[in-house]
Amino acid sequence: MGLLSIIRKIKKKEKEMRILMVGLDNSGKTTIVLKINGEDTSVISPTLGFNIKTITYHKYTLNIWDVGGQKTIRSYWRNYFEQTDGLVWVVDSSDLRRLDDCKMELDNLLKEERLSGASLLVLANKQDIKGALTPKEIAKVLNLEAMDSTRHWRIVGCSAYTGDGLLEGFDWLVQDIASRIYVLD
Amino acid sequence: MEDEEESLSSNPINGGTQSESLDRARQKKHVAMLERLASRHQTRLENSLKSAETDSSSSSTLGFESTSSFLSRFADSRRSIEAQIAQCRLTNPSESTQLKPQLDSISASISDLEKLVAENSYFLPSYEVRSSLKAISDLKQGLESLSSDLVPKKKFSFKNKAPKKEREKDPSIETNREKEKEAEIGKPEKMSFRVLESPGFRDKKGEVLVRRFSGSEIGEFTISDLDSCEVRLMGCVRALFVHRLRNCRIYGGPVMGSILIEQVEGCVFVMASHQIRIHHAKATDFYLRVRSRPIIEDSSGVRFAPYCLSYEGIHGDLQEASVGEETGNWANVDDFRWLRAVQSPNWSILPESERIGLINISNSDNEAEEI
Ligand SMILES: Nc1nc2c(ncn2[C@@H]2O[C@H](COP(=O)(O)OP(=O)(O)OP(=O)(O)O)[C@@H](O)[C@H]2O)c(=O)[nH]1
Ligand SMILES: [Mg+2]
Repeated sequence: MGLLSIIRKIKKKEKEMRILMVGLDNSGKTTIVLKINGEDTSVISPTLGFNIKTITYHKYTLNIWDVGGQKTIRSYWRNYFEQTDGLVWVVDSSDLRRLDDCKMELDNLLKEERLSGASLLVLANKQDIKGALTPKEIAKVLNLEAMDSTRHWRIVGCSAYTGDGLLEGFDWLVQDIASRIYVLD
Repeated sequence: MEDEEESLSSNPINGGTQSESLDRARQKKHVAMLERLASRHQTRLENSLKSAETDSSSSSTLGFESTSSFLSRFADSRRSIEAQIAQCRLTNPSESTQLKPQLDSISASISDLEKLVAENSYFLPSYEVRSSLKAISDLKQGLESLSSDLVPKKKFSFKNKAPKKEREKDPSIETNREKEKEAEIGKPEKMSFRVLESPGFRDKKGEVLVRRFSGSEIGEFTISDLDSCEVRLMGCVRALFVHRLRNCRIYGGPVMGSILIEQVEGCVFVMASHQIRIHHAKATDFYLRVRSRPIIEDSSGVRFAPYCLSYEGIHGDLQEASVGEETGNWANVDDFRWLRAVQSPNWSILPESERIGLINISNSDNEAEEI
């Protein structure tokens, strides 16, 4: 392989972003990823393991790792922390009972050294469901304001059903990562 | 102090007030960012060079989408890692300067193997993904026990843990569980304004509970803390949460999203949905129609059969919720606690002779049936 093609390869890599999607089981991670990618969302099984989607978003290539959130496999999450540019934490805003679980798992995640540089997007999903908490209420329950002040974060309400809010969330995430990482371009 | 200064400029949402220290903070942050960038750049460079190097051999990677070639590559790497672990066991533990890099290299090989699974998981049958993940977790455990055996420090912390485990067997665990329960019950009060609003059946004993959903109120519905009740739901909802039921019979029309069932015992469920997740269920029968694979976790003695509900207008409801047709998925149960080739001992198919017949809940308005 010639030097030129190697250089091209590096250039290509430079525009890549690694995004890790986590959250409790049933929060809608897989549905969100498929929706963004314009795929059919009508038959989705709970994720055993993980899915990787490579999506071109503006001029960036997003490598999205969608990792299963069932309790048994949450211990695998840490295998995907390395080199994460953006962290997406998905919340089922209609699942009031498990918000405490949700807060605990998020708190644990944010303690992770390897994720300390990652931008955090909290998606308050399932806003289409009557009775769902608003992003503001979710932010309060998760106590997001108390987060380490060096963290770049934002919470956005969305629905993987209607697609509302998804682009707003990912726009912010990609912009934020880009401004940190590709600032020298 | 320094952290505070930095936070002024680094939180994009708060914006930050103007102050003299701002410039200094910016500068500092800029330096830190350059450093971070440099190290990122280095790893990216290394990675891309690595993949560039292997490119000649990975031209075949593109056409690598066959299960058998994946399996043989997986098996090779796995064997080599197992061999490394075995060999490491034979090294003299006192040569710890060599031990560390050896352990690191095994750990890196395991990560590579994991990546291999990830990259191929989109075409692999789910069983292969599961068994590969299981194999990887076994390797990790092997490596962990190797390092705790060989690295003295680890051994010590191991001993430290032992008494804790013994304490777990202590009857005081009961009080712990009680506390947990209390906490769980106590928590919703924090948000009681919402919980009260949220529609559902809660805290009932020995009753027949009937609800018809009409198109305008499609939302979430909760069934919790019921003992010896019969629940009849007609019409569509978007999400259904079921929590802590004993000896209940739950007959439900279609759910357009997912059903989450936790802590049920001695119950019968007849349900239709896009997704069904069952946690901590014991001795319970499920008659299901599902678009995707039902899953169980931490459950035992659960049995499955096809959906068997009828009420006036159910066909329209099922159609509307896109569960008009039998998918056969009621029998494709995944047990997250049993990622192995052999059938999970925790669930089974309900023998036809033991199944209930078609349940008709059409005339549910007037009577309070005995249970
Ligand atoms: N009403 C509604 N339902 C949603 C929405 N997003 C996801 N769902 C439903 O929620 C259920 C869970 O979605 P998944 O995408 O499988 O959830 P997940 O987070 O990937 O779950 P795991 O893979 O187990 O971690 C599915 O039945 C979806 O149809 C939403 O925005 N609104
Ligand atoms: Mg999923």
